[in-house]
Amino acid sequence: MRLYISCITAFLCSLIGMAGLSRESVAQGALANLPRRETLILENPEGTIKNAGWFNIWAINAGGQSNGLQQAALDTLWYIDPDRGLDGVWQNSLAAEKPIYNADFTEMTVKLRRGIYWSDGVEFTAADVVYTVAAQIKYKNMRWSAALSLNVDAVEATEPYTIVFKLKKPNSRFHALFTVRWNAIWIMPKHVFEKVEDPLKFDFNKPVSLGAYVLHNYDPNGRWYIWHLRDDWQRTTLGAYGKPSPTYLAYVDPGPPEKRVIAQMNHELDVIHDVAPEGMFTLAKQSKSSVAWFKGFPYAHPDPTLPALIFNTQNDVFKSKDVRWALALLIDIKAVSMASYRGAATISAIGIPPTGAHPEFYHGPLQDWLSAFELDTGKRKIKPYDATVGQQIANMLRSSMDDQIPTDPKAIAAAFGMGWWKSDPQAATELLEKSGFKKVGNGWQAPDGKPFAVRVVVEGEARPVMTRAGSMIVEQWRRFGIDAKVDVAQGTLVTRRSAGDFDTLMSWSVETWGGHQDLSYFLDSWHSQFVAAPGTPQPPRNWQRWSHPDLDRVIEEIRNIGFDDPKGIELGREYVKIAVREMPTIPLMSYNVFTVMDTTYWTGYPTSQDPYTDPVPNWANSRAMFVRLKPRG
Amino acid sequence: MRFYVKYFAQRLFQFLLVVIIGINLTYVITHATPIDPVEQSIAAVTSFGNTSPEAIAMMRQSLRELYGLTGGPAEQYLNFWRRIATADFGPSLSVFPTPVSLLIARALPWTIGLLATATLLSWALGNLLGGLAGYYQDRRSLKFVAILAMGLHPVPYYIVALALLVMFGYVWPLLPISGGFGMNIEPGLTPTFVLSILKHSILPALSLMLVGLGGWFLGMRSVVANVVNEDYVVYAELAGVGRRRILRSYVMRNALLPQITGLALSLGAVFNGAIITEQVFGYPGVGALLISAVYAGDYGLVLGVTTISIIGVSTAVLIIDLVYPLLDPRVRTV
Repeated sequence: MRLYISCITAFLCSLIGMAGLSRESVAQGALANLPRRETLILENPEGTIKNAGWFNIWAINAGGQSNGLQQAALDTLWYIDPDRGLDGVWQNSLAAEKPIYNADFTEMTVKLRRGIYWSDGVEFTAADVVYTVAAQIKYKNMRWSAALSLNVDAVEATEPYTIVFKLKKPNSRFHALFTVRWNAIWIMPKHVFEKVEDPLKFDFNKPVSLGAYVLHNYDPNGRWYIWHLRDDWQRTTLGAYGKPSPTYLAYVDPGPPEKRVIAQMNHELDVIHDVAPEGMFTLAKQSKSSVAWFKGFPYAHPDPTLPALIFNTQNDVFKSKDVRWALALLIDIKAVSMASYRGAATISAIGIPPTGAHPEFYHGPLQDWLSAFELDTGKRKIKPYDATVGQQIANMLRSSMDDQIPTDPKAIAAAFGMGWWKSDPQAATELLEKSGFKKVGNGWQAPDGKPFAVRVVVEGEARPVMTRAGSMIVEQWRRFGIDAKVDVAQGTLVTRRSAGDFDTLMSWSVETWGGHQDLSYFLDSWHSQFVAAPGTPQPPRNWQRWSHPDLDRVIEEIRNIGFDDPKGIELGREYVKIAVREMPTIPLMSYNVFTVMDTTYWTGYPTSQDPYTDPVPNWANSRAMFVRLKPRG
Repeated sequence: MRFYVKYFAQRLFQFLLVVIIGINLTYVITHATPIDPVEQSIAAVTSFGNTSPEAIAMMRQSLRELYGLTGGPAEQYLNFWRRIATADFGPSLSVFPTPVSLLIARALPWTIGLLATATLLSWALGNLLGGLAGYYQDRRSLKFVAILAMGLHPVPYYIVALALLVMFGYVWPLLPISGGFGMNIEPGLTPTFVLSILKHSILPALSLMLVGLGGWFLGMRSVVANVVNEDYVVYAELAGVGRRRILRSYVMRNALLPQITGLALSLGAVFNGAIITEQVFGYPGVGALLISAVYAGDYGLVLGVTTISIIGVSTAVLIIDLVYPLLDPRVRTV
């Protein structure tokens, strides 16, 4: 018996022995042979990459992309920052200046920057850009081959540093394909790919970099990737902003949210991509070294993406704008904000995310119009907009976290948003009755006599914040007598969204540049020419399958003006007004990302006070961080 | 001998039947999934990027051709069996064009290493302690072990896993909580790499053992509690045979037979992967591969993993069936 007990004791001791005896040993084990003070550890939200050794980003989804590849190793012609940018929102990267279009937008000329080199010492020239375009057109299954085949008639390097694109049809936004907003068409190294027999089957391992970092090491299981600062970082476009501070970048999959929180508390994860609001609150309370975009509540970075309740407007019930408006007026946005983000939401009543440059161009200037906007319920005219909702949310939260809630109205508007629609069940009743609905007992009947049933499709545990928002809206509609139910789509959301297999959907059909006022990034896809017939797949992003002649005119006018033309702002405001009148989606809030940064080893992260870029680390734009970070101590 | 040949042929037929039915069922189920891999790919490309609707329509068509989804159902089914016959599961749709077999081959050693070790250790410890507890029924220390085993056994696995994670990852941060080995370590037969693997496998293995051990313990204790009352044990005691010898040669050997069956089945199930373990501890393996394949609608990969699993479990059952007559003469009379 003694022998058996001894065996068990020895086994347990060996477990503990193998574990090491201190926190430092674990931290050291997490980063073997790398100087922690020179290493920036960031979360890659792609998770563990199944096909770890694949770096050919030009093949569709064959490997990882935000594992440091697009942030540290790749480059393209231009970047637009979703916030303010290092020296302005627009950044000429491989291009030396902005795109030059001819009068009718059928030709685009690009002047390239000189003195940029690939990591293997070969100089970057116009030949690389021409090859990138030609290869994508030649191999029709490459990632950007469709976009380029549709647009490019011919591409030519008229000089070693000048390229002329001749387009098949006028396109004033052609440059957007080569402009990074999260990603863009990355330039291929001609001297590498031209020797490859089939670029679709080439893994590009080890990748030749055009960015400031080269691949140092990676986990064959796909959990981590380590990038090393190039010795010749001055010969990269990022080098123009100074020497990037971290010698090493480690992009890791830290696992589910609770493990990300633990990892940052153990100082093993400098930048968390996103956690649930509860995780953020835990870090704010317990980790003195953790900081977020806002110094206090609501902490999160508002991404230029607009979660909304999207109607399937091909569904007979939702063809009526009165019905859509009625449902909007049944929503109490304060309750939705509390349920989804625990109050840390930045609300928006209009179809533009309240982030980056947009409040300055759209939300602010449209406040008077929104306040004066009248809605005809069939019995009376109401003014549904309440410009103080953001302020009300701040006041509501002040009782529990007084010191963290700003008092300055501008700061409140930036953090919590401006106004939203007043919850008005009486007006909703009138609008529904105007559309032929009637209340029978405690429930509502549609004009065809059937119960008014609405399914709200949510993604489920993969996107808990939006799932909670959807559940709250369902609850509010049910209280009014509508037979509303949550429909959890889990992994089928993408397929159902594309197929139009939903009544309403918690998702987004609006994404913008953030830092730039141009709305064509998403708005062009809302033109009626792209609305699919019921039952056929809808191309992104007009998931509501909605069109309007007035909007078509706005989109066509935007197509005919330049990217920076101030008239674009006026046309953008026209879009907002049309969308408010028609309510094809119910805009809710920006997609707030709880990116949390640990200042134990690094300082100088982007924040709302110093918004030089988006800290969300899977954005290729986040490379701006590398030159502004400073090692602590 | 003639009995054994007939017995072997019967079991082999059963094995082939189970494998064929299992693989066909998997094929039907995976192809009935509402998730469209082409839409998943397009969503991944367009979730953030700037792509025009016309380009998407073009991409949709070319992806259907690329993924081989353009043929009719009969053609796809025949292609599938052609590939199975050559142990080729085709390309993964979610990380095209990487072969499914390559992805499984990369993940399987991790799963087998972790699960086989954890299964064998918990089996050995559970049976040893269960056997002792069943034989020495008055020992206080063993009663305590029994209470512990009974207490742990019904606790849901993920609770145990999370408790260990918080305990050893945060409260007392001694052990790594993610991955198969440390960052920046070169894989290879080096002490650093091996030690790192061991260190990273402690928490997932411990969680599996803590939950698995209770079942083996309780099973063995009840079998032994019955065996000790058998005539041959009583006779041996009356004949003055030493207690240790009785335990080792008379009690444990006989009580182990059903436990060996359980062990073989558990080892066969190793090929399923440990989905929750791999998710909670970020451990590489086929469970994590399977989950990601399901969400991506990558039915080539789902089929590959489940086929391996079906073959693994069926082979384990076949081996038990074939070995049993050699271990237990009573089977030969059935």
